[in-house]
Amino acid sequence: MNSADLLDLLSLAPVQRGLAAILVSGVGMPIVGVFIVGLDILTARFALMHTALLGAAIALLAGINPLAGALTACAATGAALVPLSRRPSGTSGAMGFVMTVSIAVAFLLLAAAGLPASAAMELLWGSVLATRPADLVLLAALNAAVALAYLALRRPLALVFFDREVALASGVAVDRVLVVTLVLVALAIGAVMPVTGALLVDAVTLLPALAARNLGGSLGATVGLAVAFGLAGNLLGFGIALALDQPVGPVLVLTAGTITLGTFLLRRARGGPA
Amino acid sequence: MTHPTLEVVSLHCVRGRQIVVEDASFALQPGEHVALTGENGSGKSTLLRAVLGLDRPREGRVYLQGRPQVPGSPAVLRQVAWMPQRLPLGRFPFRVDELLASSGNRAAALESAGRLGVRGLVSRPVAELSGGQLQRVFLARALGSLAAPGRAPLLVVDEPTAALDFAGQAEVADLLVGLDAAALIVTHDEPLARRCDRCLSLALGRLQDAP
Repeated sequence: MNSADLLDLLSLAPVQRGLAAILVSGVGMPIVGVFIVGLDILTARFALMHTALLGAAIALLAGINPLAGALTACAATGAALVPLSRRPSGTSGAMGFVMTVSIAVAFLLLAAAGLPASAAMELLWGSVLATRPADLVLLAALNAAVALAYLALRRPLALVFFDREVALASGVAVDRVLVVTLVLVALAIGAVMPVTGALLVDAVTLLPALAARNLGGSLGATVGLAVAFGLAGNLLGFGIALALDQPVGPVLVLTAGTITLGTFLLRRARGGPA
Repeated sequence: MTHPTLEVVSLHCVRGRQIVVEDASFALQPGEHVALTGENGSGKSTLLRAVLGLDRPREGRVYLQGRPQVPGSPAVLRQVAWMPQRLPLGRFPFRVDELLASSGNRAAALESAGRLGVRGLVSRPVAELSGGQLQRVFLARALGSLAAPGRAPLLVVDEPTAALDFAGQAEVADLLVGLDAAALIVTHDEPLARRCDRCLSLALGRLQDAP
């Protein structure tokens, strides 16, 4: 594909919306990834995706917008994670339970109502190029909220990520910080799912955060690097996918994965831990 | 009338179905240094966590300078200077100076870091410190908290010399017993315990005065 063809493609409204979506998620979602790693709730994102499906199924049954149902279910799960995230054993076991039960209940509800499961499953198979204006607005609003929450809470967050008991002893309202953070994480994941698809959420959230953690010297530096890697990975992946006429999602993942691997090798070369 | 700095009345702590601490009562007078000793697993840290409000006791009351505290709420933790037994390293790089600043009195924590020989580490990530350095940094943080506004004059430390060499143990013991504030010191360090005003021992869940 030559540059004229690429420019033609970029003049199409769906491509422009897709580009805007990956730019927006390139800023906010890596911060979500930093929250996920900092709170050690890596398994929770799977549970969130599955509860989103349950929320969508309930919404379909109720005749309302499935995305609204998915977001409500995500927010409720995020809030429910607060007590679980305090446990020394972490969230893994409980999240495995929530994940499997949610999907089972979702399928049962859809079957009982005679609705095709594919109606709710659409949420799991998003597409950047199918981003609707409403998706974009929602994504932008939530990503802005995530960025603002980070800016407002960065000091207490650094302490909470360091250690919750030390944060408590320092006078941080840990539960309040956790509620805000977890609900935002849940909503942002719910909002980005229709854009990237559930299976590719990690490419825009976790991979930039993990790459940044390899090189960052503080929480602030880690967040800055995560956003830089997120934007670079998304733009580069989107551009490569268009130029090579390949599906955007997998190319985004491979681009973000290559960046993450590169930072790991760089850390090793600097003498950091393997 | 002067209230005890800390008063614990009939505290019962359980772990699952097992009673770990039974009917523990004690008080720390202003400026008094009390060592809490006992074998591994005897419940010293459990008792301490319940006093601080990090864990909920089954029963019992805690008073700080005469004021009753809500059991199981971290209110006590927020009002005293504390050094935990398990020293965290964090998931993201967290510098020593950030940790010292979290004490509530960065200047006092830095000064204590100087006395403890770790002031030169302030720009280092906490995760890169050795066990002994980490213990000194957390002790400096606790001493900074003692000087923070609004805090009760009480230091609560859990095994403050466990990771230190012999010279370090003596140095920290000198520092602790020289404090004007009251101190509750959980320790296996016998010389340190002997230098405290009083020693409590926890055995089979029962608290008693140790000789």
